[in-house]
Amino acid sequence: MATTTLSSNQSPTGNPALRVFNDVVGGLRSAMRVMGYNKAGMIASWFLVVVVVVCFVAPVVIPEPGPDYANIYAAPSAVHPLGTDFQGSDVLAQVLRGGEVVLVVAGVAAALSVFISITLGAISAYAGGGVDTIITGLADVVLTIPNFPLLAVLAAYLRLNNPILLALLIAVLGWPTLLLSVRSQVLSLKERDYVEAARALDLGTRHILFNEILPNMRAYIVMYFVTSMTGAIYAQVGLYLLGFAPLSGDNWGIMLNLAWYRGAIFFKNSFWYIMAPIVAISVVQFAMVTVTRSLEEAFNPRLRKEG
Amino acid sequence: MGDTVMNHVASSGGDIANTADVVLSVKDLWIEYLTSRGPVRAVRGATFDLHQGESLALIGESGSGKTTLGLSLIRLLPHTARIPQGQITYRRKDRTSEVLSLGAEDMRRFRWEECAMVFQGAQNALNPVLTIRDQFVDTVQAHRRQGQRQIHERAEELLRLVQLEPDRVLRAYPHELSGGMRQRVLIAMSLLLQPQILILDEPTTALDILTQRAVIDVLRRLKEQLGFATIFVSHDLSLAAELADRVATMYAGRIVELGPVDDIFYRSAHPYTKALLEAVPTVVGNDEKLISIPGSPPDLRNLPEGCPFHPRCAFVEDRCRTSDVPVEWVSNRQEVACLRWRDVRGEVKS
Amino acid sequence: MSTITVPLPKTSPAKSTVSSVVDWIRRNYYVARSAKALITIYIVTTISFFVVHLMPGSPVEVYIYTLMAQYGVSYETAQNQAAALFSVNVNEPLGLQYLDYLGALLHGNLGNSLLSPGTSVASVMLEYMPWTLFSVGVALFISFVLGIVLGMVMAFRRESVLDHILSFLGSLFHSIPNYIIGILLVVILGIQLNLIDIASMRGSFSPGVKPAVSLHFFLDALYHAALPVLTYVLTTVGSWMLLMKSNTTSTLGEDYVTVARARGLGDWRIMTAYVGRNAVIPLVAQVAVAAGFAVGGSILIETLFVYQGIGWVLNSAIAQRDYTVMQGIFLVITFSVVLANLLADLLYGKIDPRVRVQSESGG
Repeated sequence: MATTTLSSNQSPTGNPALRVFNDVVGGLRSAMRVMGYNKAGMIASWFLVVVVVVCFVAPVVIPEPGPDYANIYAAPSAVHPLGTDFQGSDVLAQVLRGGEVVLVVAGVAAALSVFISITLGAISAYAGGGVDTIITGLADVVLTIPNFPLLAVLAAYLRLNNPILLALLIAVLGWPTLLLSVRSQVLSLKERDYVEAARALDLGTRHILFNEILPNMRAYIVMYFVTSMTGAIYAQVGLYLLGFAPLSGDNWGIMLNLAWYRGAIFFKNSFWYIMAPIVAISVVQFAMVTVTRSLEEAFNPRLRKEG
Repeated sequence: MGDTVMNHVASSGGDIANTADVVLSVKDLWIEYLTSRGPVRAVRGATFDLHQGESLALIGESGSGKTTLGLSLIRLLPHTARIPQGQITYRRKDRTSEVLSLGAEDMRRFRWEECAMVFQGAQNALNPVLTIRDQFVDTVQAHRRQGQRQIHERAEELLRLVQLEPDRVLRAYPHELSGGMRQRVLIAMSLLLQPQILILDEPTTALDILTQRAVIDVLRRLKEQLGFATIFVSHDLSLAAELADRVATMYAGRIVELGPVDDIFYRSAHPYTKALLEAVPTVVGNDEKLISIPGSPPDLRNLPEGCPFHPRCAFVEDRCRTSDVPVEWVSNRQEVACLRWRDVRGEVKS
Repeated sequence: MSTITVPLPKTSPAKSTVSSVVDWIRRNYYVARSAKALITIYIVTTISFFVVHLMPGSPVEVYIYTLMAQYGVSYETAQNQAAALFSVNVNEPLGLQYLDYLGALLHGNLGNSLLSPGTSVASVMLEYMPWTLFSVGVALFISFVLGIVLGMVMAFRRESVLDHILSFLGSLFHSIPNYIIGILLVVILGIQLNLIDIASMRGSFSPGVKPAVSLHFFLDALYHAALPVLTYVLTTVGSWMLLMKSNTTSTLGEDYVTVARARGLGDWRIMTAYVGRNAVIPLVAQVAVAAGFAVGGSILIETLFVYQGIGWVLNSAIAQRDYTVMQGIFLVITFSVVLANLLADLLYGKIDPRVRVQSESGG
């Protein structure tokens, strides 16, 4: 994988939180730059930004739609542009408010996954030898265990009152995929000149990892994060759909569950009740996959079309 | 079209119909590659004849157009290549055909049956998932209806000719053979259908010196035994010395000199040929300085006016920089594209 | 890729037998892969055992107390029943329970279902597993074949309209979660357009039809598996297509393809034996892996369509807290995945002559 050699705008060795923030912003900026030539990727990224904004603003601005039993499964109208659900609540309001939890859980899960896999991956690649074998062996095992069934079992029995716990669970099962990519990336970076130089200068492992290797993976980290989020959304909504995640609130996953099991499929008028979360989820997933793919293309010039 | 008028002051070697034993006649062939920055002309007005059973060496640096010329003879140029002008006439017994106008199916038959090309770098020239035997069978069955038994026997024959052990080689997959063995397999395969012409592109490059020797010996013996015509494409003059009857030197897509091997080596008439000869160190050390050709290889997109070699030529004069260079006959067998060939032959530099 | 050669071990007298055995295992491709698979299965077995027994509100304890509450039996009686069902004895220390469990496993005893006492977990497995295998098998076959063919077409017609459309569709269907595609199929085709009769497609075979080796049964089974299969094919064909397209494109650039044309080989022969065979090699190994994952992911699709395979059973087992069945299914699914991965590795060795083990040195 060809790495874009970035100018080393090292964050000052100081507050680690500041450094991480710097890295994140730097990563986003380089990712955007690297993707600049790819129209689809750009459109998808901006679209995602809009989605994130709407999802976080809506719950504040739009009040929770209350039940209106006279109006169950109403057809779309001026008052209810997407109709109503099995309780008469407005679907549009629900779908606008429903993204926040999904995105937060996915974001936290992804952040955790990325953090775990980067830490373990970097250590594994840098240390090599026995440590490497153990970590990759562990990753292999976790990878082989069927992810979703295990998730389902655990989710059903551990009282997951807090969505953050759900995120944790997803992250714990999701990191191995990333680890392998991180590890191979670090392995290739390890051989670079500036790392050799740093080592010769005896700058210490921690310094090398945080100041030489990781900053050059910034754009990749963004890619890993987005990929992770895609998987986390899949897992989350799947759990909601099967009823293994706590069914309180009105996020997209719960909407899907209720729409499916409360018989939205039997009412033609309620088409939008089930379509709303479907469209929302699908569109977000597709945008994320597009972003990932265009980042991949940018990193691997061989995938680019001639021109 | 073309920025050089090729005045072929011809006497002998003219019309193919006249000479009974010419098997291939290339006339004024131009080949260009389409790039994002415009067409790049790789071959400019190449003209030569190939006689039955003769070996012709095409010598030149990389970028001289020799490989492109070779590929064009079987029309396996990449998609970006165009042949805006020229003729390639092929003759077998009494029938002639224009290779450039052959239809797809005829062209397919032409390849390997009439003219086989052995590419350089046999590293990856064979299908990795088929045994050598299967690939021999493939080759024959694409052209003739023959049973596997028969093909197998013929393959054994040919493999022995190239000094390989048939049993072991036929059963093997390509990756199980060494580079030199694969090269020889390809040579054996090329003779399967008894083509009239064999084109060898850098047959000894990327081989170690001992294998080179073996391959050269094999080629020489095969030529004697089977009598096919050969075109060697190479940058290696010593190869030409060993195997060629006639030598053509190419520079910037043009054939700058063409003649019998002895004449080329001992009485060369083009400064480029001469320079090439002088650049080869002799084993019999005479404390001669190594003379390399000054300057750098030509930029095909940006050729200078006049003779393309003039920036590096030891015999350059003012007129070389401005006027077109026609092909002239030095003798009835040697031709050259140089304004000062007489001086070159008589070694008078300016 | 170079061949992995295994020279005959020159046993030096100083070398201990253990290390030379380990060496031999590591060098022999097939044996190493199998060993790894066994270790993984062992680890997963252990994990699943401890997960079930150490979860908050250990299912064993819950079961005992439920029995006591519902039937008013004594602790010991309940305990004994639990022991029989779980193949464990809660009185023993956990370590011994673990060993008992392993012992039972090796005898093929997965315990009995909690909710249908008398039904062994193994029999549940046998009843429902074939359906999952059937639907996954059919789906994988269709998806793979379709993917290879379309992928090759896309490679030969790069940058054409067809190429772009197929790429887009493949990518689209791949990114949307498979259960959503399933729901969409039902909602759009079934409800809105009334094209298919949802109700009759429910279940793995029509009521009243006896499982038998007959065409009628086979067709009926296909009918019922149609929705899961369609969902699966739609969501996975894109990846096969794109993978095959890129493999084919790079194979087309290989020297041996040019040489094959120089040899005058026909287009069809080149397309199949020279380009196709080489391009498809990495994918064939993936098929086995994909099968493994499909079995694992079946819980969602089967629940959605009420297709009674192993995934659907798992879902109801989770919902009804039938811990032994859950544990058993979990094991079987993992075992399938491991087996599939192992098969993939072994298969790869078989179809790519470059990755072979030779016992003679040299080549």
